[in-house]
Amino acid sequence: MLRKKRCVAMLLAGGQGSRLGILTRHVAKPAVPFGGKYRIIDFPLSNCTNSGVDVVGVLTQYRPLELNAYIASGAPWDLDLVDGGVFVLPPYQTGATGEWYKGTANAIYQNLAFIAQYNPDYVLILSGDHIYKMDYAAMLAHHESHHADATIAVRQVPWDEASRFGIMNTDANDNIIDFEEKPKNPKSNNASMGVYVFTWEKLRKYLIEDEKNPNSSNDFGKNIIPAMLRDGQVMTAYSFNGYWKDVGTIESLWEANMDLLTEKPEIDLHDKKFRVYARNLGMLPQHIAATAEVDNCLVTEGCEIRGAIRHSILSSGAIVEEGARVIDSVIMPGARIESGALVKRAIVAENAVVGRGAVIGGDEGLIAVVGQDAQVPEGAQVKPGEQFGEG
Amino acid sequence: MKNVMGIIYTGERDEQLKELTAQRCVAAVPLLGRYRLIDFPLSAMVNGGIRNIGVIAQRNYNSLMDHLGSGREWNLHGKRAGLVFLPPFLTKENVGVYSGFLDALHANLHYLRRSKERYVVITDTHILFNPQFDRMAAFHEESGADLTLMYTRDPGARRNGLGRYIQVQEDGRVTALEVDPTIPHLPCTYLETLCIRRELLIHLVDEAVSQGQYHLTRNLLMNSINGGEMKVMGFENPGRAWQIDSVQSYFDCSMELLDQETRANFFPADKPVLTKLRDEMPTRHMPGSLVKNSLLADGCVVEGIVENSILFRGVHIEKGAVVRNSIIMQDGLVQSGAELQYCILDKQTTVLPGTRLMAPKSYPIVVAKDSTV
Repeated sequence: MLRKKRCVAMLLAGGQGSRLGILTRHVAKPAVPFGGKYRIIDFPLSNCTNSGVDVVGVLTQYRPLELNAYIASGAPWDLDLVDGGVFVLPPYQTGATGEWYKGTANAIYQNLAFIAQYNPDYVLILSGDHIYKMDYAAMLAHHESHHADATIAVRQVPWDEASRFGIMNTDANDNIIDFEEKPKNPKSNNASMGVYVFTWEKLRKYLIEDEKNPNSSNDFGKNIIPAMLRDGQVMTAYSFNGYWKDVGTIESLWEANMDLLTEKPEIDLHDKKFRVYARNLGMLPQHIAATAEVDNCLVTEGCEIRGAIRHSILSSGAIVEEGARVIDSVIMPGARIESGALVKRAIVAENAVVGRGAVIGGDEGLIAVVGQDAQVPEGAQVKPGEQFGEG
Repeated sequence: MKNVMGIIYTGERDEQLKELTAQRCVAAVPLLGRYRLIDFPLSAMVNGGIRNIGVIAQRNYNSLMDHLGSGREWNLHGKRAGLVFLPPFLTKENVGVYSGFLDALHANLHYLRRSKERYVVITDTHILFNPQFDRMAAFHEESGADLTLMYTRDPGARRNGLGRYIQVQEDGRVTALEVDPTIPHLPCTYLETLCIRRELLIHLVDEAVSQGQYHLTRNLLMNSINGGEMKVMGFENPGRAWQIDSVQSYFDCSMELLDQETRANFFPADKPVLTKLRDEMPTRHMPGSLVKNSLLADGCVVEGIVENSILFRGVHIEKGAVVRNSIIMQDGLVQSGAELQYCILDKQTTVLPGTRLMAPKSYPIVVAKDSTV
């Protein structure tokens, strides 16, 4: 038996994120680069570290190689501990059966034994889909003070978008009285952030029961939460007001990157008291050449900028050659933009090469994407909304 | 390279670096936005496959210890081997301050005895170069030398009144050595890096110190070369070498590495220079800022003008500030309207609004750590 922990976090990182198109062809969504030197999963992992949650199980399933390699020992997030840390938990075979994770609840169900090792009071369920900084300790305190069985983090969303989310209707004491998954006519605009705290014994009970039901889709939003509500368990909503962005689509991923370029970004990555950690590649400092023009950009280590960049994110080791222009775009790690090329309103994925004089994206319309390792030939064009790369 | 261990000496030669070494040893002097001088020999050892590395500290080693930690960033935190930090300590024979490199080695003979590798490479930290320890060790073994000295022919490493110079014959044999000549007579600059069999080193150190000799170069090497009994060979290390022995040389070396080709040659992609990490966000270039020919580490915010300069991690250049031909170390703040020319600002320095610090190229100003100007 390991030392008892107050809280164990389980991070659902198994989804493909198919709405990210070519960007998740080779990597799972949580491993998609963000903001110059981060990957999406750095945000929930760093939140755990900053909140004092030091056991994190990461549930992987789709294309886990890059994610596994990225997490490795967990040292970048201070999660390489003697009595805890980060653990990658893929689906596994058991004696007679063994199967893929059928749904979010089933993924946790298959790892009940992992959680039980720590005999925690609470289990924190997270996803690897969002960019946000959140103190889970405050949410745990809320859960405790409300003597809740489950606490769901909620955030107000614009009314016209409410029908895209799971919507919580609460009473004056934050108790959830009703939950609707993607309602046509939402009664409130309190959307679930996909961040849950459960009292461990209750979670275990409901996961075991859910597994016995052959008609269940083994999903937290569709099955576990409604079942607990039906049974009259104490369910509270925890309001979160900080920056929170779903980056599940090309457009929202691009937008979230651009949010870092506002005059005072809503998400403060400079804050030393609440650092967002990332695996550091240890590259040379960025070099801005005499021929470069840099206006309103985030540029990171390993970049060599010799061309013109404006209102863009340049990630580790990205190279912009002399005479190339990058505007309103996200250039991911190791990508190279060759001389005379124009990249506008686009995402260029890891290690891609945009050949001389090529044109990616345009003044308006959907975001253009160049996939990982893709090589856009000299003079070629990738129109707005198009995705270039291995299919 | 399983059979080679490394020793890095971090002790001497910091008189001319002024404020830069007021609170740190030369090994811990920050360089190029994110490194410290010790990162270069240490990374070269790791890249050359050396796993057992002792770092001998002498004075002001607080920053050095903080920087190296457990050696994790260099993959030297393992169980089987790794980084061994060797601070001075007081014993009956040892008064804590070393009289020289030999004395330091003598105080750490227990570490040399305990190690298992057949060969030792020894290096110092006040010359910046890319030592090819693996090739030197192979050369040492093949040539059957007792001692192999690493040298360079880079004229940039030569100094009047300072440095160690050697004569190397065509067959590679070292025939003469001079220490701090007013004008160097011998053609090759000794990089204060050598390779020797571990047991021979233990023997020579013990013998020399028991005879009251404390200096590795002046005593042990000089005797070995002049005595004629030892086979002392020279190994020419390719590439550039910079003596970091004065504020001017520190500044000039930094500025030379702003050049793309010089930098690319000095930092080959397959031999990364490893250093302590700091989790900073990417650097923010604000609208209206202007940056030309500069190196910037992460975590900076640039609102003003930066030209031909090096910004370390977390530096903030406010709107209307102008920084030219300068080096600003970690967490420096240059406030609006301030102007800097040929300045080196040590860590956590603040330059107040409207302040002008204009030095000539031939005499860069150093502003000490934690100052407000």
